[in-house]
Amino acid sequence: MKVVTGVVGNDIHVVANRLIEISLQARGFEVFNLGVNTYLEEFIDAVIETDANILLISSLNGEAEGWCRELNILKSKYKQLKDVVFMLGGNLAVGEKTTQEIVPKFKDYGFDLVFHQVDLNTGLDELEKYIKANR
Amino acid sequence: MSLLQEEREIIVQNEYADSFDFQEIEEFVKNASKNLFISHNFKNKNKMLVQPRGGFPTYEKQFALNEFFVKANVDVLPLTIDSNTRLNDYAMAKKMLRLSEENEVDMLNGYPLVNHGYRTTRKMITHFDKPVSLRHGTPDARLLIETAIASGIFEIEGGPITYLLPYSKNFPLDKAFLYWKYVERVCANYSKLNEPINRESFGPLTATLVPPCITIVIQLLEMLLSLEEGVKSFSVSFSQTGSVNQDIVTSAVLKKMAKYYAKKIDCEDAQINLVYHQWMGAFPSNKDYSESLINTSTVIAALVKADKIITKTRDEAFGIPTKEANAKTVANTQYTLRILQGLPNIVNEQEEEILTQEVKSIMEAVFNDSADTLWRKVFNSIKNGTIDVPFSPHIINNNEVVTVRDKDKNIRIIKRGNLPISDKCFEYEKSKCNLDKDATSIVNDIIHDIGIMQ
Repeated sequence: MKVVTGVVGNDIHVVANRLIEISLQARGFEVFNLGVNTYLEEFIDAVIETDANILLISSLNGEAEGWCRELNILKSKYKQLKDVVFMLGGNLAVGEKTTQEIVPKFKDYGFDLVFHQVDLNTGLDELEKYIKANR
Repeated sequence: MSLLQEEREIIVQNEYADSFDFQEIEEFVKNASKNLFISHNFKNKNKMLVQPRGGFPTYEKQFALNEFFVKANVDVLPLTIDSNTRLNDYAMAKKMLRLSEENEVDMLNGYPLVNHGYRTTRKMITHFDKPVSLRHGTPDARLLIETAIASGIFEIEGGPITYLLPYSKNFPLDKAFLYWKYVERVCANYSKLNEPINRESFGPLTATLVPPCITIVIQLLEMLLSLEEGVKSFSVSFSQTGSVNQDIVTSAVLKKMAKYYAKKIDCEDAQINLVYHQWMGAFPSNKDYSESLINTSTVIAALVKADKIITKTRDEAFGIPTKEANAKTVANTQYTLRILQGLPNIVNEQEEEILTQEVKSIMEAVFNDSADTLWRKVFNSIKNGTIDVPFSPHIINNNEVVTVRDKDKNIRIIKRGNLPISDKCFEYEKSKCNLDKDATSIVNDIIHDIGIMQ
């Protein structure tokens, strides 16, 4: 399966991004890593270009919301995105916010899987479970 | 007028910069106090020089910080530049400087040198009569360096590789090489007037599990790029690796190879210095532990016989340090250095041999690139992964090399990507690690290895 990944917005935190790439490869995914400082439109372009099954966006600086709220609008523009799994993970808010506040908000924006301050491997386990269940 | 001089005239014509009087600046450098030159201090002070980090937006605050440092018996003053200036956004730096001056808040994370100008800054530098080191992170530092030298700052940190690969996603690397070539030439020309201007490379890179062979190769290449333009005093540097053994081996090989390659291009007359950075990775949130870590770094710097140490502070985990905390580290580091007497000379021949072979293989591959100039060879080598910096955010970086720590905390290469190290060396690296684990546990090990000091 193909995954496009990267860090959204003006966020340059590269360490986790690289670890996500290594972990996905270890689990047998084909990874297209756009790296840090990537905009939502660039992610969507890459998903279409590579015909990816999954888009995994990460964010650490807490500014993800401002960069991701247009996802549904972009999804409605391209019918190729219908079967793509949209996943978001990292530290998803500036300051302290609870998972109960954050997860529904991002699901409304169009994400299937949302992980706020969840350990990387747990998040990827959940992704694999989700793919199995929705096949 | 030479082509370089024509370019200089254009570069300094900037609405945010002082009007440059090159003749007056030459006179100033020619007659400047020897104390301002770190190259002079390296030769004449028989001790490791201690240099903190620090930069505040306003002249007054920077002046006050320097006063604290001098009271703490500092050897080298820092001048850290704000992030807007690093990106050549002088308009934003000017606005933020005004806001900082009008309110009691610092709106910049450093000193906007171009906006302050050389006439003003020179007053501060000559007042303290200590060498000043310019710390920045600028890919295009041409105007900044002109302003710095005119101010009396005679040590310039950075380089086309070490100021780009750790800091930028897509600034064009070929441009960075050409902009830094200008910097080297300007430094070389001023070096003829008085004591040499010292150039220093930034060895810590991403400070995240960078294997010593890559650190050393990049140090050597930036040194060669600088010496071939006529620079006569150069500092190679690296940061604490997390393993005392690896620090000792790295310094031994770096010193040996720097001499070897300088001689190869007939530049053995240049003075080469070694700089050691206290731990550059994530710090513990317990400030007392931070002090302990800093003190350990100082002991290692003494073991590796560094010519200069660059300090951290107990506030590191929390942001920009107060001037009190910053000066405290300087005083403590001076104390530790003073009491460290009769350190043993530790040599690990086997590790030195392996590391030397790795460095030589990579250097040879760079030199064998078919391009006609050294900077183009280096550019191609980064592009094709002959040089590969772990955790660089830059799109040109190959990102294939994977490293972990062995049981003694040495950084080892477990995936070499296109690094041209021999099978023998690669087998040695891998033999030190337990690689029977599944990939998920190795990723967990890497996460753990990044945060070892926390």
